[in-house]
Amino acid sequence: MKLPIIKGIKKETAVSLLAVVFGLVAGALFMLMTGNNPFAGYAFLFQGGLMSIERIGNTLATSTPLILTGLSIAFAFKTGMFNVGAAGQMLFGGFCATAVGLTLNLPKPLLLTLMLIAAILGGALWAWVPGFLKARFNVHEVVSTIMMNWISYWVVYYTVPAYFKGEFLETESRKISDHASLKVAWLSDLFGGSYINLGILLAVIAVIVISFILDKTVMGYELKSVGFNRFAAEYAGVSVNRSIILSMMISGALAGLGGAALYVGNASNIQIGILPSQGMDGIAVSLLGANSPLGVLGAAIFFGLLYSGKGFMNAMTNIPPEIADTIIATIIYFAATSVMIEKFIDRIIRRKRGE
Amino acid sequence: MVKKSIALVLSIMMVMTLFAGCSGAGGSGGLKVGMVTDSGTIDDKSFNQGTWEGVNKAADELKLDKQKNIKYLKPTGTTEADYLKEITNLHDAGYKFIVCPGFKFSSAIFKAQDKYSDTKFVLIDAAPNSGEKGAKDVVKPNTVSVFFAEHESGFLGGVAVALQLKEGDVGFIGGMEIPPVQKFNWGFQQGIKYANENLGTKINIKAENVVYQGSFDNVAAGQQLAAQMYDKGVKLIFTAAGGVGVGAINEAKARAKAGKQVWIMGVDVDQYADGIYEGDKSIILTSAMKKVDQAAADMIKAEKDGKFPGGQTIVFDSKNNGVGIPAKNPNLTEDTTKKVGEIFKKIQAGEIKVSAEKGDLIK
Repeated sequence: MKLPIIKGIKKETAVSLLAVVFGLVAGALFMLMTGNNPFAGYAFLFQGGLMSIERIGNTLATSTPLILTGLSIAFAFKTGMFNVGAAGQMLFGGFCATAVGLTLNLPKPLLLTLMLIAAILGGALWAWVPGFLKARFNVHEVVSTIMMNWISYWVVYYTVPAYFKGEFLETESRKISDHASLKVAWLSDLFGGSYINLGILLAVIAVIVISFILDKTVMGYELKSVGFNRFAAEYAGVSVNRSIILSMMISGALAGLGGAALYVGNASNIQIGILPSQGMDGIAVSLLGANSPLGVLGAAIFFGLLYSGKGFMNAMTNIPPEIADTIIATIIYFAATSVMIEKFIDRIIRRKRGE
Repeated sequence: MVKKSIALVLSIMMVMTLFAGCSGAGGSGGLKVGMVTDSGTIDDKSFNQGTWEGVNKAADELKLDKQKNIKYLKPTGTTEADYLKEITNLHDAGYKFIVCPGFKFSSAIFKAQDKYSDTKFVLIDAAPNSGEKGAKDVVKPNTVSVFFAEHESGFLGGVAVALQLKEGDVGFIGGMEIPPVQKFNWGFQQGIKYANENLGTKINIKAENVVYQGSFDNVAAGQQLAAQMYDKGVKLIFTAAGGVGVGAINEAKARAKAGKQVWIMGVDVDQYADGIYEGDKSIILTSAMKKVDQAAADMIKAEKDGKFPGGQTIVFDSKNNGVGIPAKNPNLTEDTTKKVGEIFKKIQAGEIKVSAEKGDLIK
């Protein structure tokens, strides 16, 4: 038998698709084991994410922060850095955007621009620190980014109640005005009252810009060369330290933008005492998307679909929420082990060739 | 290439959807009650669990099918959008009576009560509010907002603790510094003060032993805080802190196993069983309860009888037995239980007033 699917498309795409299929099959086994019909389960899962225009909007909105954090982590991976701090960068970026939105009173386009700039700068600043520490003192970025996550958590924890406290909600900031929200009437109306917002457009623009930077610019080439082999890059005349800091800052800026999409787009206030889960999920998105911007876009939408359809599956079947979480975790797990699947494909191809 | 892969994924979904067409959703008969959990799990020994037990209790009494007529959903995040999404899922699946425990649902219910006017909402510990500056609470006719007099519960617990321990230091560990938790703390301090002044006890509570950890899920931090307090000679800690309290209970159990005598006062539900470290011996002296389960069950039964108190804000306090300590407290002497019972009657009669304000109390 030939492998027609694999022949036609890139190996990375095939690996990711197989990971998804394996994950779905494993999830189906889970449903069978707990006495549920997997076909019905998955059907309700996909219906929950797609059955009305409003739900499609919600699925895209759920995907938006994931696209941006996935892109952030993928960009760092491409340039040889492991950014585990997307959650903290996202939180701080979102906090900066919220702070600007709650403080200034300007016309909507101007205010939104300033808020987004604040989010980008906030995220970039939060990633600059680990970048600087790596470049200057060779501190491993995994350690420093995780620490920065908690610094961000506590900064927000103390700053929000002190300066932006809600009227009755002690654990949340005041609600931002419609002026300061990425939600716009035409988009909400287009999607039947969904909470989809301008964030999705920003995310798509970010995907295009990042693929352009990586593939078509000298800067992107230099950053990638540092990722492939830092010593070779240095020998070739690339300033490695500058590249490390720059790539962390771009990565952080993307995560910061994701924070804006979450806190002033999907939500309308910022909460204390919680690190956004999208920061860690971004790692899985990036792995499933094979670190390519377009792959990240597809992977994030797939994850968004799972998260968004999960509740409806729970509501319509007897699959308890905890099992649904396990199923999603299984799918993510398979996605993350795509290396294993890659080896598996290599073996099949080799066997076909009779090696 | 990308087009092809998208086409593949889409076709898989189509096939799935086709298959599902054959297996319909569970048919519905009678009242369908849904619940959306707050941050934390369904077995949090506290808010979510209490509410869910109340829903189950009502289902038993009303003979509802537990497989088809009651359901809880767990949101993926804690933003208003996450909560609204699960409310929508319940609504679309035919659950037209939805219970939401926790103050975080305030703005989600504010929107949901308008969007789904055919659905009844029970909001526990909060009132629907837009969250904008200066906004007033709006309880629509399809919503009931439920509050508890936590300070009265804390007061009774404080009196029980003072009567049982007679003298020594006690402490308090809270979760987030929010009114429901603060009121437990303030009531607790007032209860101890009352016992010291009127019942001849000598219990001391130092400012350094009144702590808000800042979250409801940091088990490790709860354990550390409890260890520090016990090391300083504190005999009992009142925990009103969800998962943080679980950490404190673990620390107390470890110490009790090692032969030391330390106590915890539980919160929200009767936590006696969670504090068992050997046989049937528990480190839970008593618990300051707020009967979330009863509140949830009462509202469901009221709906069934056509007496849903829509548009109202209901307070569960000692007058309607909505707060208090458990009926059975194996670690309290009969004398203590009897005296606490008398105090409870005095609060019910209004002879003892417990303040819900901080006043000159600690934190």
